[in-house]
Amino acid sequence: MIDVKGLKKTFGENEVLKGIDEHINKGEKVVVIGPSGSGKSTFLRCLNLMEIPTEGTILFEGSDITRADDRELNLMRRKMGMVFQHFNLFPHLTIKKNITLAPVKLGLMTQDEADKKALDLLERVGLPDKADSYPAMLSGGQKQRIAIARSLAMNPDVMLFDEPTSALDPEMVGEVLELMKQLAEDGMTMVVVTHEMGFAREVASRVMFMADGVIMEQNTPKEFFENPQNPRLREFLSKVL
Amino acid sequence: MGFVESFKQNFIEEDRWHYLVNGLGTTLLITLFAVLIGMVLGFIIAIIRFTHDKTGKMVIPNIICKVYLTVIRGTPVVVQLLIIYFVIFASVPISKIFVAIIAFGINSGAYVAEIVRSGIASIDDGQFEAGRSLGLNYRQTMTSIILPQAFKNVLPALANECIVLLKETSVSGYIAVQDLTKGGDIIRSQTYSAFMPLISVAIIYLVMVVVLTHFVTKLERRLRQSDRR
Repeated sequence: MIDVKGLKKTFGENEVLKGIDEHINKGEKVVVIGPSGSGKSTFLRCLNLMEIPTEGTILFEGSDITRADDRELNLMRRKMGMVFQHFNLFPHLTIKKNITLAPVKLGLMTQDEADKKALDLLERVGLPDKADSYPAMLSGGQKQRIAIARSLAMNPDVMLFDEPTSALDPEMVGEVLELMKQLAEDGMTMVVVTHEMGFAREVASRVMFMADGVIMEQNTPKEFFENPQNPRLREFLSKVL
Repeated sequence: MGFVESFKQNFIEEDRWHYLVNGLGTTLLITLFAVLIGMVLGFIIAIIRFTHDKTGKMVIPNIICKVYLTVIRGTPVVVQLLIIYFVIFASVPISKIFVAIIAFGINSGAYVAEIVRSGIASIDDGQFEAGRSLGLNYRQTMTSIILPQAFKNVLPALANECIVLLKETSVSGYIAVQDLTKGGDIIRSQTYSAFMPLISVAIIYLVMVVVLTHFVTKLERRLRQSDRR
């Protein structure tokens, strides 16, 4: 589904990604972990071209998005949901409007269809009574669940999660991870950058360790956590587990 | 001379109050249309400047905008008014009020542009990314996500600009437009009493500014609904 070849990204003098080759299949749940500054968020953000790669190609469902024009890129982004660390809900719109804005603006649904879909999604994320609230009235965990619902409203083929629980108070992490787990069980293709090792162990079909702009090791969660090979990974795991 | 006689002399005799009422009408007319021109111009320029800074596109329009901003903000509004009337429209038979509207509109646009640009820049980049990640294009993201928030943020500053503009139109007399200030001054020149007409003019401006401020506060409160916790 996503095919990454020779991906490099530099910010000024700083080479953040030093050549990444990776393939993500439909239905996979790939969890990316690694120390901060390892390039894992940049890698994720390159997948939907939030960051423009300096070098390399990214094939999404067969077409090279690094060579797409704006219009093609927008079409592809509809198929790739993204969930941000800081939620990035639209504070001037109600929750329902947050969810329906894109499908309606893009002409995929009428407002009525989108409203109905929004209510279904709110039911699914466990916040059916928040349709007419504004983002500022919600807790962090609730905001992130709405952000996930907003992405799902576009019926994406893949969901990208950029440290979705890092900005949350500890007691709210669980509700978001639970929702992500449900999504995974429903068969969504997911790429998740996170520090939640429990989630990686439980939900991932594959765990990836990134450091210094490269993927140093990847494996099934069981092997990854029980039998790490790379010394950097061992050191990292010893610190976080 | 007592207050009552003075009032009679300045406003009642020869229907001199007409100068103030008609002048007020002219002032409001100029302000209203100048504000509209200023807002439209300001938003367009702010968007061009922001788009240039964000995407690197629109190089030529950005240069034009920068020159415009420098010239307008670097010269007095009276001089601009005089130039537009006596130089640009010198050989065109045209309404003076129209010239004033154009002059104040163009002048205000420069200030509105910088206000709006700072408002757009104050919106977190994540808002932009969220919009684009959903597949909205640049324009859709700007119009439905960034600009409404930016507008809300800069509303007090924009209202202030309107108030400044309302007061600035008092120099319209330089091209012989009979606005409120000129009206009061005409009364003064006819009755040789300065206090009554000029203080009246001042009070009328003051009332307008206070009323305007009141409405803006109300509007702000309504826009702040989404911030309720």
